[in-house]
Amino acid sequence: MQNRYRNMIARFAGMGVLIAVILTPAPYHAQTQAQPAQPYRAPRTKDGKPDLNGIWQAVNSANWNIEGHGAAPGPFWQLGAEFSVPPGLGIVEGGPIPYKPEALEKKKENFADRMNRDPEIKCYLPGVPRAMYMPYPFQIIMSPQYIMMAFEYAGALRTVYMNHQDAPADSWMGWSNGHWEGETLVVDTTDFNDLSWFDRSGNFHSDALHVVERLTAVDKDHLNYEATIDDPKIFTRPWKISMPLYRIVEQNAQIIEYKCVEFSEDVLYGKLRKVPIK
Amino acid sequence: MRRKLVVTVLGAGLLLAALPLRAHHAFSAEFDINKPLTLKGTLAKWEMINPHSWFHIDVTGPDGKVTEWMIEGGSPNALIRLGVTKNTVKIGTELTIEAYQAKEGTNKAVGRDFTLPDGSRLFLGGSAPGQPAEK
Amino acid sequence: MSQRLFTPLGAILALVIIAAFLMPSPAAGQTVKSGTNALNVAPAPSAEAKPWVVGKTPDGQPDLQGYWSNNTITPLQRPNGVTKAFYTKEEFLEAATKQAERDGEEATPGTVEDVHYDHTQFGLDRTQATLTPDLRTSMIIDPENGKLPPMTPEGQKRAADRAAEKRKQGAQYDQAQNLSTTTRCIYMNAGPPMLPVAYNHTYQIVQSPGYVMILIEELHEVRIIPLDRRPHAPQNVRSWLGDSRGHWEGNTLVIETTNFNDKVAFQGSSQDVKVTERLTRTGDETIHYEFTVEDPHTWTQPWKAEMPFIKATGPIFEHACNEGNYSMSNMLAGARREEKRAAEAAAKKGNQ
Repeated sequence: MQNRYRNMIARFAGMGVLIAVILTPAPYHAQTQAQPAQPYRAPRTKDGKPDLNGIWQAVNSANWNIEGHGAAPGPFWQLGAEFSVPPGLGIVEGGPIPYKPEALEKKKENFADRMNRDPEIKCYLPGVPRAMYMPYPFQIIMSPQYIMMAFEYAGALRTVYMNHQDAPADSWMGWSNGHWEGETLVVDTTDFNDLSWFDRSGNFHSDALHVVERLTAVDKDHLNYEATIDDPKIFTRPWKISMPLYRIVEQNAQIIEYKCVEFSEDVLYGKLRKVPIK
Repeated sequence: MRRKLVVTVLGAGLLLAALPLRAHHAFSAEFDINKPLTLKGTLAKWEMINPHSWFHIDVTGPDGKVTEWMIEGGSPNALIRLGVTKNTVKIGTELTIEAYQAKEGTNKAVGRDFTLPDGSRLFLGGSAPGQPAEK
Repeated sequence: MSQRLFTPLGAILALVIIAAFLMPSPAAGQTVKSGTNALNVAPAPSAEAKPWVVGKTPDGQPDLQGYWSNNTITPLQRPNGVTKAFYTKEEFLEAATKQAERDGEEATPGTVEDVHYDHTQFGLDRTQATLTPDLRTSMIIDPENGKLPPMTPEGQKRAADRAAEKRKQGAQYDQAQNLSTTTRCIYMNAGPPMLPVAYNHTYQIVQSPGYVMILIEELHEVRIIPLDRRPHAPQNVRSWLGDSRGHWEGNTLVIETTNFNDKVAFQGSSQDVKVTERLTRTGDETIHYEFTVEDPHTWTQPWKAEMPFIKATGPIFEHACNEGNYSMSNMLAGARREEKRAAEAAAKKGNQ
């Protein structure tokens, strides 16, 4: 008898809570909370996947330096403030990049000699994850078997194989295989060469680089982007970067051809001209 | 065996393949027709890159000294579609390469023919046709 | 050096393929091992017109997706002395077989031709990849003579001006900028129109709602074509591949491209050339590709061409050309070294 009462009370109490929840209007201040009550569910593509199609861009100074940095003069005083280095809080989580001691020395050498060594100056492909935070838009084009990421900068392209294929050889942009974990696109990239940098400040990797990225829509115009960088030849442990990706919402927005090889020819070959560039 | 690049005009007015096999940068401007050589060495690295791939070969001279040569080969893209990967030609594979040395004078050359120790051709087009160097 | 066994083997294989090609469908499409310089020609469309229904992408577009090749022996313009529009199957196969034999022949050591890696060794000869089953004597179908229409006086003057500008640049190997855009890894004839290149003639089409993307293997060019009928970019936004806008007409993708820069100069055209392409999937393994080129500043009439694309295998490996362009440094350094040696030799002579 007592149990039945308890059960009834429990049931009424439960219903009461339920009714209370249903009848209580969502307080407007809930919209300013940092965490929504439930994770955002992106609209689906026609084949049932979270729709990440669109043109996206990072808004930060990570391409200058993925670690936090203050403002600094640019490399050429003649360009004054126009090509100086803007400040940034950085996108590396949890402290400085965990270089091995000898690798840290190399990073410092890279920085000191960056005007000769930065592959961006030669219009070389930016690699991963640098392509994701260069200050130019990129477009995600999704089909069931292939998710393409087409970058405005240097016409770079990433192919994410959703049907898993092994890499045949090393490349600048690596070889990417992707799969879904709920709302998140997980991209696993390996088989990089050792030639790209992470930014303009000499942060670098070896050909053992392994990047795992997670892209999740958090509302209709923003993705959360995280990447775990693992390179046992260079770093003492894996480390992470994270940042939002913002949807380019202008009407008729498009990726525009940005071929930069012509602009880099004198840098690359000027010293070999018949009348050499000094 | 070096294959001809050019396409001939056939009889009966049938001009074949008027599309040239690429307007090549003149290879004869990069490599010296008067400097043919035969190199024998072991593979240190095959850079599977475009527009042309490059074989890094360790060549042991008669004095026992090892010098590294860089030898130009073709784009790897068609071979990749045939299943060739960066693991196909193992590091240390012995190769005999008939080549022409680069005009810029260092240890660079273009490989007109790459041959394996058993006499068969690397990759394709030998008298044992169609077999990649290793499965 | 191992003796070549190719010629008799090649002839035998060629005969087998000719027989297969001539048989009524569906037998056509003999497959032979790549790399033997024996022929592989894609099957010609079936003689009986079986109605074929194009598949749809998840969002309902006619499905053009996959890897495609436009590898062909058909030239853009009809050769001199040829008046008909189509070869017979026998003529085509004879010509293709001869091309295969030619590809397989040795170059003579010590000749300019010999100073090169062997395309056959790397699977790069045209006849080592499947050929499209195109019996046309030219890609151009309008004008009817299969040739480019006459150039206008403006077009001729522009061509002469461009040649004069080029001569001012100096000798070919004086600087990188004097060499071709292909050698410089700037532009490798991606078009549009998407004309066949000698090798790495592979294309990948990926479709998503509102867009068709075409990846062109040579130079890893990406064409992203919006389908929402938006206007072209402003006039001052010009580029090597132009600005493409697409829409569907039934099962045909129509792509209009304008806003080319003035350096592309496709077949001598001005920067105001307009290229209209039409792609129609005609079977599981074929896309019919047609294009019209309009430039009243260059030609007396628009001209039209067509060619098939056939299904190809992937993948398309990263064509990072500028990054791997050792050849450019080698050539320039070689030219500088030769100049230096010539100067030293002349100085020595002067001192004697």
